[in-house]
Amino acid sequence: MPDTAPLPLDPRAVLLDASAADRDNAIRQCGRALVAVGAVEEPYVETMIERERSISTYVGEGVAIPHGTLAAKEAVHHDAVCVLRFPGGVDWGGERVTVCVGIAARGDGHVRLLAELAQILLDPDRVHALREATRVEEVVHLLQPTKEETT
Amino acid sequence: MASIESTDIRKIIVACDAGMGSSVMLASQLRKQLKGLGIEVEHTPVNSIPADADVVVCHSGLADRARKTAPGTVLIPFTIFIGDPAVTKLVTTIKNGGTVHA
Repeated sequence: MPDTAPLPLDPRAVLLDASAADRDNAIRQCGRALVAVGAVEEPYVETMIERERSISTYVGEGVAIPHGTLAAKEAVHHDAVCVLRFPGGVDWGGERVTVCVGIAARGDGHVRLLAELAQILLDPDRVHALREATRVEEVVHLLQPTKEETT
Repeated sequence: MASIESTDIRKIIVACDAGMGSSVMLASQLRKQLKGLGIEVEHTPVNSIPADADVVVCHSGLADRARKTAPGTVLIPFTIFIGDPAVTKLVTTIKNGGTVHA
């Protein structure tokens, strides 16, 4: 199945059933997941919250893509994403978020994956699958870039 | 008020704060939509927009910073990441020909 370079999505950074009291808490959980897989240093996490306060990373369809600031790139060890689902929903400045795709990047390793996410957001069936998948592998597979995605 | 003829557009820059999140997603969409038209689409942080950019697309909240980095370049601010009317209009204008206004 994996045909090209490995994706920066570690299955250990996929949580299907998280819950968060508020947006900041949800972002911290994303940050912790990225720290846990060795992608970022701890200080990166607070910059994710700082970034979110300046402009929301809500991208539609109940999905947000929190990430740090440019200044925090030094705190990134390698490109990585995490996927945290919040079935109970998180209030995201008035929007309801149920899926967070947290990002840490110093290069372009995550680009194919975000391109795939953009495609998913345009496809109601796949958005549904992303929200409802019951196994971590399904989520990883969904975000697997398809065919002719050239860089 | 900057403007550019659609046929003169060679490079579109999608800018965001860190150049790692929203700009990446939008750039991938634009690349797909403009495929085969010979237009380069790149994503960069808002403070390092290259001088040869013909059009800059960025979140409305970053528009002021983008204007500082790329004064005189046509700037298309958007508010919705996927399917923003301003971005759709840009793509339509490029495909059908016409003038893109900042």
